[in-house]
Amino acid sequence: MQSSGCGIGLRSPHVQQVEAQRPAIPWLEVHAENYMGGGPAVRSLERLRADYPLSVHGVGLSLGSAEGIDAAHLDRLVRLVDRLEPALVSEHLSWSVSADVYLNHLLPLPYTDETLGVLADNVGRAQDRLGRRLLIENPSGYLRFHRSPIAEPEFLNALASRTGCGVLCDVNNVYVTCANLGGDATAWLDALDAATVGEIHLAGHAGNDADGHTVLIDDHGSPVAPAVWALFEHALQRFGARPTLIEWDTDVPPLDVLLDEAAKAQRRLARTASVAAA
Amino acid sequence: MSPLRELQAGFRAALLRGDDARVAREVADDGIRAAARVAIYRHHVFTSLTAALEATYPVVTRLVDRRFFGWAVDGYIRAHPPAGPCLFEYGAQLPDYLAAFPACADLPWLADIARLEWAMNVALHAPDAEPLGADAWRALDAAALARLTVRADPSITLLASRWPVDAIWRANQSGGDGVVDLDRGAVQLQVQRVGDDVVLRALGPAAFAFRSALAAGATLQEATEQMFEIDARVALADEIRAVLDEQMLVAG
Repeated sequence: MQSSGCGIGLRSPHVQQVEAQRPAIPWLEVHAENYMGGGPAVRSLERLRADYPLSVHGVGLSLGSAEGIDAAHLDRLVRLVDRLEPALVSEHLSWSVSADVYLNHLLPLPYTDETLGVLADNVGRAQDRLGRRLLIENPSGYLRFHRSPIAEPEFLNALASRTGCGVLCDVNNVYVTCANLGGDATAWLDALDAATVGEIHLAGHAGNDADGHTVLIDDHGSPVAPAVWALFEHALQRFGARPTLIEWDTDVPPLDVLLDEAAKAQRRLARTASVAAA
Repeated sequence: MSPLRELQAGFRAALLRGDDARVAREVADDGIRAAARVAIYRHHVFTSLTAALEATYPVVTRLVDRRFFGWAVDGYIRAHPPAGPCLFEYGAQLPDYLAAFPACADLPWLADIARLEWAMNVALHAPDAEPLGADAWRALDAAALARLTVRADPSITLLASRWPVDAIWRANQSGGDGVVDLDRGAVQLQVQRVGDDVVLRALGPAAFAFRSALAAGATLQEATEQMFEIDARVALADEIRAVLDEQMLVAG
């Protein structure tokens, strides 16, 4: 996959149009869990993968679960990856499963040595079964645990060095987390080991009220915010050009709007690539 | 229990049961109360699962109205949270839950509409299977044929209702007039994926008994006997041909 390309998340309202028109998009991202059955959705993706590199983005492996990851779900992910042969496979620095209940959210982790051990075991097991490197994405944070002594970027650096995984740096999530929990987003990016970054995510966020304070919610329901574009430019200076994704999951707009948003990222990627080449 | 496992069990209790006590002790209270921060996560869990159930049960949602549906499934999500992350597999027990839900007692057909929508959801996402073709049947002699067991294509559900649920479903598609004569009475339906489409077929009582028996793993002889108990005049060869033409069966 070209490091200077901006892909889009392929969501159900756009599938028919993408199939019919085959717009020029460097790559497509899909959520793994939507394609683990049979039927038309998977067949359509098998047709599209002839024309577009794919990124398979898992949301349900629950790599941060202290009870370990679900072997049956990992098997399904392995079968999907074998079938689609994606260029990238990614998951999250979060947990969703406790006592075999799936809570359908990327839930927060305290960043401790114990958590690092759990993540390293689970990521190692997943990578062994997949036979390839995973990219692990930083989540959006809405709370801080009292006992969480390791800073998030350092935690990702340590996880990458223990397991060989890469990092999917979601720049919008960095912005949201730092705004919600008090932190310097630029310093966050500066603390991340640039060599581990294999992909960048961009998306819109919303502002909600909690206890009379504004909390930013990572809802993927609007254009990328100006402050996040600025942070993206800083990330490109730090990391160099990386495959970048525009995510839009709620209030999904017409495909053209999404492609315009991707073109904005593409222009910034092209500038970075030409500076690097000069 | 390890501290992380303990924390995750506490978080699960806070999300599903509103029992914040254990997890709130662990969360920093900086400007926004710990409980309000946990509530941000709870809100997402319930709205996203409600949206998943709305997507699987669009006609039920339309029939009871979205706000009522959201209220009704709130208790369902607490009682039956997902067992796995594939949300197209979530919501199997909702028909039974609605059947027992007191506020839906005036809508006796609602649970069967939900059963129909679940069957359509299963059909859409079922694994692809190789149908048992006429050639495979021809290779069997009479004795082998009588002993043969088969199973239904995994996309198939055979669904009987005392209400005309297919008519109710069709009347509530976009462009439908929403008007149904409930006195049309009972139906026997076969729901199946054919190509990329989910197909609804209305069956007679005898054919429904024959196919239900085959799908439940009965031998061809047993299934035939069950069909003849309902209607002894049915032509068996026609029924078998229809089953083959519709690619209903895979080898058992």
